[in-house]
Parts: sequence; structure tokens; C-alpha cells
Amino acid sequence: MLREFAEKQAIPFPLLSDVDSAVIDRFGIRNEEVGPDAGPLHGIPYPGCYVTDEHGVVVAKSFHDSYKKRDSPEILIDAALGRVTLDPKAPRAEGGESAVRITASLRGGRGTLRQGIRRHLVVRFELAPGLHLYGEPVPEGMMPTRVEVRGPEGLVAEPPLLPPTTPLRLEGVGLELPVWSGSFDIVVPLYATGALASETRPLDSDRASLEVRIRYQACDDETCLLPKEEKLSLDVPLDVIDVPRLGMHEGHGQREAAFDGRPHMRRLVLRKLRRKPLGFLRFVAKSIRLEWQALRRRRRG
Amino acid sequence: MTIERDHFGFDAPAPLGHPGRAGLPDGRPTGPEPGERLPDFVLPDASGRPVDYHADRAGAKSVVVFYRSAVW
Repeated sequence: MLREFAEKQAIPFPLLSDVDSAVIDRFGIRNEEVGPDAGPLHGIPYPGCYVTDEHGVVVAKSFHDSYKKRDSPEILIDAALGRVTLDPKAPRAEGGESAVRITASLRGGRGTLRQGIRRHLVVRFELAPGLHLYGEPVPEGMMPTRVEVRGPEGLVAEPPLLPPTTPLRLEGVGLELPVWSGSFDIVVPLYATGALASETRPLDSDRASLEVRIRYQACDDETCLLPKEEKLSLDVPLDVIDVPRLGMHEGHGQREAAFDGRPHMRRLVLRKLRRKPLGFLRFVAKSIRLEWQALRRRRRG
Repeated sequence: MTIERDHFGFDAPAPLGHPGRAGLPDGRPTGPEPGERLPDFVLPDASGRPVDYHADRAGAKSVVVFYRSAVW
């Protein structure tokens, strides 16, 4: 099944099969809310990723509260390599001034947005030698660097990920300030929800406009340039998701892939039914009950 | 199946409360933490060949992704 899936979806990395969830259990990430009465779902893990070094030691990991939130592969590769690569084909906007160059670009999925898949809005600062920008905290009257992303309804921007600062000691006044210098990135993870790019209906629009607001003040060891506030705009393509051929996904305006899930679902259902017949019947009864409840909710409006 | 939007704002072709839509409970551990070595494991790949994760990586960095299923 995985071979057909890998061929049809052109997946270049190894796919491994944990049929009995033994490795899922060894990692301790089985979704226990999905028990033997969950039919074909029984045994699924919480979806998530581990990024490791050469010794197989975890250097980064991501598990999210909703199973719909997943990280773009490009973000995982960046985490493994320890650097952020800007995609030359992704939407980008440039700003700043001659001594402070600013580039905003969307990382992941060639700069598209689709439901639940986290991308990184990367704001890259490139400072002239001798200049620095401030992190937080700084005393009143000084301007810490701020990045904020706004977009249409259904865009969720998470709090920015800040690189580590270095301390700048001001000997005369006995202050130590957190600063960045040279080239550094402030990253805002973001994703679309169903209001912007649903996976159960066609897209309302094929693009969205993101506004990136950046506030900063560049200083050298003696003087400061004027505080600046910039607004950069990114025009970002929206995308549907790839779905296998299965009744539950058909007719929702998504990209129906070459992969036909139906024979595999039949086999999966038969296997689970053979192993836990009572549990499977409970799953069917529960599914019918949930459908009824959903129907009643819809009627009530 | 009924389509409903959950409290995260995500749409899915399953009613609310369906086990397939169960999220990660707050504070639930999620396996090895940064600084820990991933457990040893051997699993078959797409052609049925057993893959020994730590041995077959041959000293390369890796990304290990747990998906729910390729079927649906």
C-alpha cells in the first residue's frame, strides 16, 4: 500500500509502516482517545515530528494541539540544518533603508497557504557593520524590534520566534541591553483555518494579502537612527489540500490525487473488524449517533 | 459524512466529537524530548525491507514524522 502511495504521490523519502502501533507505543504517542471502538482509526498516533542530529538525538520537535496543524517540510529541514533558507520562488517584499535591509518572505510550500499547514513568515534583517537593533526588555524611551503579521479572516499568526540576543554593555550608565547585529531572522509561524482556505469546500479566492508591520530603531555604540515603522505587503497564493480518492473527500473542491484509498480502506476496515468485531460495531453505532447529533445542530442553525 | 468546523476553525469531513478529530490534550507528553536519543526501532519500508532507524541512518541527521495514515 505504501509503495503505491509513495509512487503516486512522488514521495522521495522512506515511508515506514507501524501496523500494530508498536513503535508508536515505544515513543509513547498513541492517541488514547481513539480506542478499540474507533474502527479504522484505532492505533493512530498524535501526529508530530522529531528533528535529530547525527546521533539520533532530538534537537527539535513539534506536536500541536490540533491534528490539523502540521509543519511544512521546509521548516523541518531548516530545523535540521540550523539555518533558514529563503525560497526564491515564494512571495517576498523588501524594505528598510540602506543601513538596515529588510526582506519578508514566506517559507514552506513554495509560499502558499493551505488549511492547517504551518508556514514561516521570515523577516530577515541585514544591518550595516556597527549597527544593532534592540530585543526586549529595554528601558522606556528605547524601541524594541517588533514584527506583527495581519491578514484576512482565517489567518492565524502565532507569536514571533526570536533569535537569541547578545548583551550590549553601556559602561557609562551601567546598562546591559539585548541586541541583534549583522544578519538575523525573526520568524512568525502562521497558517490558514477553514475561513480562509477550507479543506471541505472550494477556495473563495486563490490569493490572500498579508501585511507585515515592523518597528525598529537602529543604533551604533554612540548614536541612533530615527525609529522606523514599516508595512510590507505579501500577496500569497492559497491552496487546497491533496486528498486520496475516498468517499469522505469527494466533491469538496480539493485536489483529488491519483492515489485511490478505497481498496486500502476496505482492507483496513476488514482487518480491524476481524480483530475487534465488537469494538468495530460500537464505532459504527457511535458514528451514526454523531451524524444524528450533527444533523440536529445544523437544523437548529 | 457531515462537515463541521471545530473550535480551532478547522473544517473536516467528520462531525464534531468524532474520534478522528480528537486533539492532543493539554500537557500530554509527546515522547522523547530535545536532548534525548530516539528509541531504537526497526520497521518495514514501502517495499517491505526492514529499516533499522539508527543503523541505516549511517550517521546522518534525520527528520522522523509520525502520520496517522496514508489510507485516508
